Amino acid sequence: MPIDPNATAEITAFRWVPDFAAGLVRDLRIRWALEEIERPYRVRLLDATNPRPAEYFLEQPFGQVPAYRDDEVQLFESGAILLHLAIEDERLLPFDRNQRMRSVAWMIAALNSVEPIILQLLAIDIFNRGQEWTKERRPQVVDFLEARLGKLSEALGDKEWFEGRFSIGDMMIVSVLRQLRHTDIVGKFPNLAALVARAEARPAFQRALADQLAVFEQHQPEAA
Amino acid sequence: MTTPVITAYNWSPDRGRGLVRDMRVRWAFEEVGRSYDVRYLSWGQQKEPAHRARNPFGQVPAYEEGDLVLFESGAIVFHIAESAPGLFPEAPAGRARAIEWMFAALNSVEPVVWDLIIARIIEGDKDWAAARLPLVEARLNNRLEELSARLGDSEWLDGEFSAGDLMTVSVLRPIGDSPLIRAFPNLAAYVERGEARPAFKRAFESWKAGQTGETPAAFAQPKHEPEGEAA
Repeated sequence: MPIDPNATAEITAFRWVPDFAAGLVRDLRIRWALEEIERPYRVRLLDATNPRPAEYFLEQPFGQVPAYRDDEVQLFESGAILLHLAIEDERLLPFDRNQRMRSVAWMIAALNSVEPIILQLLAIDIFNRGQEWTKERRPQVVDFLEARLGKLSEALGDKEWFEGRFSIGDMMIVSVLRQLRHTDIVGKFPNLAALVARAEARPAFQRALADQLAVFEQHQPEAA
Repeated sequence: MTTPVITAYNWSPDRGRGLVRDMRVRWAFEEVGRSYDVRYLSWGQQKEPAHRARNPFGQVPAYEEGDLVLFESGAIVFHIAESAPGLFPEAPAGRARAIEWMFAALNSVEPVVWDLIIARIIEGDKDWAAARLPLVEARLNNRLEELSARLGDSEWLDGEFSAGDLMTVSVLRPIGDSPLIRAFPNLAAYVERGEARPAFKRAFESWKAGQTGETPAAFAQPKHEPEGEAA
């Protein structure tokens, strides 16, 4: 079990989040990677429902989670942390030059070509729900997203993982697609849906998810 | 060593500002002093199968070096930065922080900047644009404020100029002359400092020299939008 209060690696995470975010908060990406490489870590909890303390912005300039530190580095950005953990570990990033670089390309594609469109949809469905403009704008964002996922689906084809073997590219693609769980959009692309299911079935993912959710369970706000 | 080939457009709808994402890659090559060749596409060819084989999303840039084919400007800049000194510090911790800022640019700054371009230009004529714009501007302002606070009066984000600065300056360039960024003089000056680097200027000149294509009919009326992976 990688959670260990005496571990040198530390991540920040939220104490509690509303249901729409539970199981999606980005520390999950790092917990998952740490589980995959069996590296112990400890967790420092922050309050999501109040502004982050000023000193936290020194670690994470945007006040988000996760931030990460170990005996070598202090980092933010889930993509950068994931790459730091993977860079010398073949379980997450192949040593073969071409596979390695293309795995990095898929990870960056997830963060820069897929997730920004998904966040547009989350802004409509969750963060600004009910506002008039969201109803008018939604169909066009969905069309754009589905066009992008269509190309992603074509690129995956019938492969098990994007570069033939599991890597941080798959981890990040799956992590961003999971943010669509409130819609049926991923289901329209059966190979992407199967990719997500395959990744979520990994024991390391299961442990990471259970550990994130357990924290929220322990810190349920008191009923009003 | 094989000379890498990047793919770029011979015309782009950015009114000569060099906002297409091959600029980042050209800039990175210039910073590390590596030569490269360019395969030019005319507008529209990016969607054809030959290019989709290089870039699954049908965008530029793509990168070819022997049997390595790469896409995503962030990944290509990462690869160039690893291939020669100049963009990543030598010490592993410094390198990790340069990578951290690359990711911050690509995942925490660019999507917010891009949202403003969508709201103002791409969807500017839609009924809902006016109702949405204040939210988009507020979110961008907030992110710029955080970035400005972190930069403070430093020249670059983490010591020496790195791939993290190259990418951060690149994602801010589309709004470089906007009042939103001018409200943070240290950020506006930071972008100008990036653009003043000799390597940037060389990259810009080579980009400009490649703009030899005809304006496509669809763009004949005045309208511009930064193009690249996200558009």
